[in-house]
Amino acid sequence: MGTTNVSTAAVSPFEKLRLFTQKYKKWLLLALFVVVAIIPLVYDDVYYKNIMVKILMYVIIASSLNMINGYSGQFNLGQAGFLCIGAYTASLLATRLGWNFLVTMPLAGIVTMIFGYLVSKPTLRLSGIYLSIVTLGFSEIVRLVVYNWTDFTGGPLGVKGIPAPEFFGISFKETDAFYYLVLVLVVITLFVMHRVLNSRVGRAWMSIREDQLAASSLGVELRKYKSQNFMFGAFFAGIGGCLFAYFYRYIDANMFLLDEGFNVISMVVIGGQGTLVGPVLGAVIVNTLTEALRSLDQFRMVIYAALIIFMMWWRPQGLAGASNSILAGGKLRRKGKAADEEESDEEGGSIT
Amino acid sequence: MSTILQAKDVCKYFRGLKAVDGVSMEVQKGEIFGIIGPNGAGKTTFFNVCSGVYEATAGQVFLDGEEITGRPPEEIARKGMARTFQNIQLFKYMTVLENVKIGNHIHSKTNMFDAIFHTGRYKQDEKEALERAEAVIEKVGIAEYRDVMAGTLSYGSQRKVEIARALALEPKILLLDEPAAGMNPNETQELSDFIKRINAEGYTIVVIEHDMKFIMNLCHRILVINFGKRICEGTPDEVRSNRQVHEAYFGKGTLGGVHVDKEHEAVREEASEDAED
Amino acid sequence: MVNYALQQLMNGICQGSIYALMAIGYTMIYGVVGLVSFSYGELVMIGGFGAYYTFVYSGNFFLGVIGGFMASAVWGIVLYILCYKRFLEAPRHISMICTFAFSMMTKNLAQIVFGSEPKAVPSVFENVTYTILGIRITTLQMIIISVVIVFAICFTLFLTKTRAGTMLRAVSQNKKASALMGINVQRTVLIGNGIGCALGGVAGVLLILYYASCYPNLGQLVGNKALTSTVLGGLVSIAGSALGGLSIGILENLGIMFIPVGFRDVITFIFLVIVLIFRPKGLFVRKGTR
Repeated sequence: MGTTNVSTAAVSPFEKLRLFTQKYKKWLLLALFVVVAIIPLVYDDVYYKNIMVKILMYVIIASSLNMINGYSGQFNLGQAGFLCIGAYTASLLATRLGWNFLVTMPLAGIVTMIFGYLVSKPTLRLSGIYLSIVTLGFSEIVRLVVYNWTDFTGGPLGVKGIPAPEFFGISFKETDAFYYLVLVLVVITLFVMHRVLNSRVGRAWMSIREDQLAASSLGVELRKYKSQNFMFGAFFAGIGGCLFAYFYRYIDANMFLLDEGFNVISMVVIGGQGTLVGPVLGAVIVNTLTEALRSLDQFRMVIYAALIIFMMWWRPQGLAGASNSILAGGKLRRKGKAADEEESDEEGGSIT
Repeated sequence: MSTILQAKDVCKYFRGLKAVDGVSMEVQKGEIFGIIGPNGAGKTTFFNVCSGVYEATAGQVFLDGEEITGRPPEEIARKGMARTFQNIQLFKYMTVLENVKIGNHIHSKTNMFDAIFHTGRYKQDEKEALERAEAVIEKVGIAEYRDVMAGTLSYGSQRKVEIARALALEPKILLLDEPAAGMNPNETQELSDFIKRINAEGYTIVVIEHDMKFIMNLCHRILVINFGKRICEGTPDEVRSNRQVHEAYFGKGTLGGVHVDKEHEAVREEASEDAED
Repeated sequence: MVNYALQQLMNGICQGSIYALMAIGYTMIYGVVGLVSFSYGELVMIGGFGAYYTFVYSGNFFLGVIGGFMASAVWGIVLYILCYKRFLEAPRHISMICTFAFSMMTKNLAQIVFGSEPKAVPSVFENVTYTILGIRITTLQMIIISVVIVFAICFTLFLTKTRAGTMLRAVSQNKKASALMGINVQRTVLIGNGIGCALGGVAGVLLILYYASCYPNLGQLVGNKALTSTVLGGLVSIAGSALGGLSIGILENLGIMFIPVGFRDVITFIFLVIVLIFRPKGLFVRKGTR
């Protein structure tokens, strides 16, 4: 098995597009930002604006999951649990204590981050599927506790009457205003993520994703960085959950089912795990799809599910994933031979 | 000369299997120390105990006079030990430069805050990481692959990246686990020269190999292990003349050659008799 | 109180044995395919519906069990083609996403085809309640437990005594080596997956009898139980996952004596998390085995 050079082979138009966008990244980003920023000014339809707000919120949420799954290789299935915590923290503080958005939002992030720490700490020894199951369990535990703890959370009734964000004398009640608020937060989120990834911290995460043994033998503190990574992802998930609460003005525990977590994962995977732009693409595509399929009524979820399976067949590395990645082409292989063997040692084995 | 790495009666048992059984060694500062032994002799296990990948069943390991027994690998790396792996363990989906930059991890202190706000420390660290990484890449001779994904390189180059990554740690001692495995004679010679060169720069190096010639030409002192036990230790000449080493490598009967031949003849005779029938 | 506890224990054993059967099937799938499935609950549900319609038309219990078995096996083959075949050697998360999507598809299709209203399951045998030492046991409970035991024994014998079983075990250990030994790996994986799903289907039959109703959301309730039991048992141990399922059933039924019913599922997950913290490879995996 030698090295296959993809560039010499016939380059698909899709690949060309990817390389093109990579080349003019800065300009395209700027152009995109301008377009996204003026859409509400020229296009006036509340229904579509609401969808766009939704997309923007999911950009934050999907990116936060991508930080964990895509960059440190810990497969988190319980993002819905983090969303739930963020949403409830913000909405309870806002409705019960009347605190301002400027306080509740960071607090939602921080509280979720603390939960991220609590999940990651005992699970550091776990790997692969075991870790995933614990995160899944965590997500369900959070949801069920929130659902059943009626005195504190309102239980099945949810939290109603969450006020619109309002600070510096500006009210974000109108969709336009809220849209810009979320847009600013998206830009900040992506900017922060970009900077962290391109630093010693981000490199340490990626080294853990690639090869834990090698990373530790180079002095990368596995425990510290894994748990830091979880906290980082959880923080932004909390922010996303908080925006959710302020957007819908009402939340209940059933908005955070495992299906919601799966929805976020599919955005990340469809867009391309381990790339910054991937979750953005994924959020746009998945949300547009679910809206476009609304007219199909009861067949909607069937078609949606079929499309996801189709996406995985067609482009398993995600839209933004490189064609020379492990997943490209007809041959699907797990990362590297050694890693493969290790993994099977870890989890597989004979049925007994 | 002072001892930099010392192992005292190190044992590592996997359930019943005594992979390493009471091996001691002392590596002096500035030397190239070789560990040889047949396949499955316990060399790599011994390495893994020294570098903290495995916990020793018994015995102690000292690095520069400080006990490091049972410490995790990341801590041992911080104290100045770097290593490579028998089956190359690169960060395959990162570029060569990024791979080597991680070698600089322990020399920098950037935290998340620094990264987000691009503080002075971040800028200082990034500059240093880049400079050091480029210097090491240049030294190892893989500058042309600087921005290539490490996983796509040829076997020999991957070995070099791994060494470069370890060197970026600026370790007190460098452990190389079968660095010549899978290399052609030319590459092996090149590697040998390279190891001598960095040794001359002051690096202390421990090499595992089962290629006798490679190690005899390279090392100042050699430790021979078989069945997890230390057989002998000494200069290449001393090892070469040691009878037990021959036995370990070639088996008991082969020294005289008579025994084997006789058996062969017996077999041949039987075979011809069968044919006649 | 003691009596109540014993009664709950009995219910726990009964429910736990259904979980155990699901977990055995799941272990089979995970062992052979090597990938996690999130559509198992839906396969159980399909088995339930298969049995439901057989019950309605034939009224025979045994035919119903066969119906459930077959329905899930067939749907399992569809699952294999869509979600596993192409991704056997790809990173795990890809097939995981596919199985999640498949589960969504199955559930919604079932709602369209069968309707989302719960259907009352016709009685296929006379349900008598016996009282032994103050504990009530129904015919249904005894039948459930004995079906599970029969299937568990047959399955174990199949794995250890037959040629096909040996092939399945070989493939679960090392696909590459099995291929070199001349085993058709793709086909063996397909069969293993089919059998695993079919066992889930049988569990589905027992479930609809237990709840006396059949509805498309049934799978959602139990899918995670199967996964949890299997993880508790160490993913590849059949005895382990059976014990895992049993312990979850018992724990749940005893647990609701002390805490509100709403927290029932929380018990399972908290138990799982605690177990994994102390035994990262599950309850019943011997330490140091490779």
